[in-house]
Amino acid sequence: MTRDELVTYIQDTFKDTVGLLETGRAEPFFMIKPEDILEFSRAIKDDPKLRMDWLNCISGVDTGEHFEVVYTVASVQTKIRFDYKTVLAYDNAEIESVQSVWPGANWHEREVWELYGINVKNHGNLTRFLLPDDWDQGHPMRKDWDAPDFKRMPEK
Amino acid sequence: MSEPQGLHTKEFTLNVGPIHPSTHGVCRFVVKMEGEVITELTPVIGYLHRALEKICENRTYEQIIPVTDRFEYCTAMSCNMAFSLATEKLAGIEVPERAEYLRVIMLELNRIASHLIWFGTTALDLGALTPFLYGFREREDILDLFEMTCGQRLTFNYIRPGGVSKDIPPEFIPKCREFLDGFNTKIDDYEKVLTGNPIFITRNKNVGIMPPDVGIAYAVSGPALRASGVKHDLRRDDPYSIYDRFEFDLPTGETGDCYDRYLVRIQEMRESAKIVRQAIEQIPEGEIRGKFNKMNFKPPAGEVYSRIENSRGEMGIYIQAAEKQKKPLRVKMRGGSYNQLQVMPVICKGAKIADLVAIMASMDIIMPDVDR
Repeated sequence: MTRDELVTYIQDTFKDTVGLLETGRAEPFFMIKPEDILEFSRAIKDDPKLRMDWLNCISGVDTGEHFEVVYTVASVQTKIRFDYKTVLAYDNAEIESVQSVWPGANWHEREVWELYGINVKNHGNLTRFLLPDDWDQGHPMRKDWDAPDFKRMPEK
Repeated sequence: MSEPQGLHTKEFTLNVGPIHPSTHGVCRFVVKMEGEVITELTPVIGYLHRALEKICENRTYEQIIPVTDRFEYCTAMSCNMAFSLATEKLAGIEVPERAEYLRVIMLELNRIASHLIWFGTTALDLGALTPFLYGFREREDILDLFEMTCGQRLTFNYIRPGGVSKDIPPEFIPKCREFLDGFNTKIDDYEKVLTGNPIFITRNKNVGIMPPDVGIAYAVSGPALRASGVKHDLRRDDPYSIYDRFEFDLPTGETGDCYDRYLVRIQEMRESAKIVRQAIEQIPEGEIRGKFNKMNFKPPAGEVYSRIENSRGEMGIYIQAAEKQKKPLRVKMRGGSYNQLQVMPVICKGAKIADLVAIMASMDIIMPDVDR
């Protein structure tokens, strides 16, 4: 499938859930509503033309205005690759776990929870991970978090 | 205590680490055992967490390259490459032909160097010292080649957005050819020590079997997945740089046990040597760095995920750039070891405690890749 074919196919098949985000790159990027994440993930894995059986990574993003969670998926069988993301407001940011689709999502989701404070529903093991066990200084990957000894260079 | 089948010992919890459980960085396992059979394994990570992703958000694109060196220091070239590729994709930067060849030569030499570390430490983990010395002897030759090119032996800062930082000196190609000429016989020597060694076979054969579907579900990549019989290599499936111009085979295994992973990596070293040889035959003259304004580079707003195949599988870099900003909004680093470690609890279940080290060695996990 070429890029255009893939975009048309996904937009036709998942009309109600998907919006395309044009970034002018080789691989397409889709927008999904937070409540549709689990359903969409399962659908693209089961779809006979896509077979997205491979979860590369889940990245949390803090843009300074809101959170984003980016899912990067690929397929070993059909060699297709694309990304999709969801936008979350700062208050009560929450996503549903996709471990039932890809078990490998576990650690990626734990990291999103730990570093950004985005709650993951039905995760089962949201415990300290990269940070020390007794960490109590918030979520360090947020834009409003600076290390205590960090001094920002003045912008020219 | 009437019948032996009903014999249950008390569950026993053992802490392995957090100093080197083998020689792959600082990792810790909490192992629950019944007798000497593992019933539950919990990796505890974070001992090498250096917040590289946070550091990247406060640096310009050129300044991030040395940070990526520290991401996965066994194959620093591939980290440079993954980040440079992502930046080039983001801003549409062209790379000169000669630079592409130099990149491939360095990447493949680095892959061999990394596999040599794996070869040495795997044998060391299983109690053999000699292969470690052999592996590091040849690795030294490769590091000499790197040193004469970019002055560094571990953290290269060599591959940059738009090309590479320096051209190779005139003595590089003869030296490299000399290394390649001898290398195949060196691998034969390695194989004489381990491949047919009865102790090595007993410790590795049918140990830590990873079925292909488990590997795919946990997104295990690289030699560890290919040993389970899945022909998945990004150099073939999603070709980047100029990998489509070279001929090489993809060695795969059948059962997916530790021994298959060993055989696949040994074969892979031969294939990498083949690629380097083709590249030094074909390399053209010309520019080594394309148009890239390193002092004032401001890419258009956008998001990009670029992935390459390094010695531990898929290395991916995700960049989100804000409009007209010198610094990226977000850099996410995805290393192969992260998912390889995540699958360990699954494949170690039911294995003996003594096999834990063999399995970890064969997965080739290094911790900077996991903790970042």
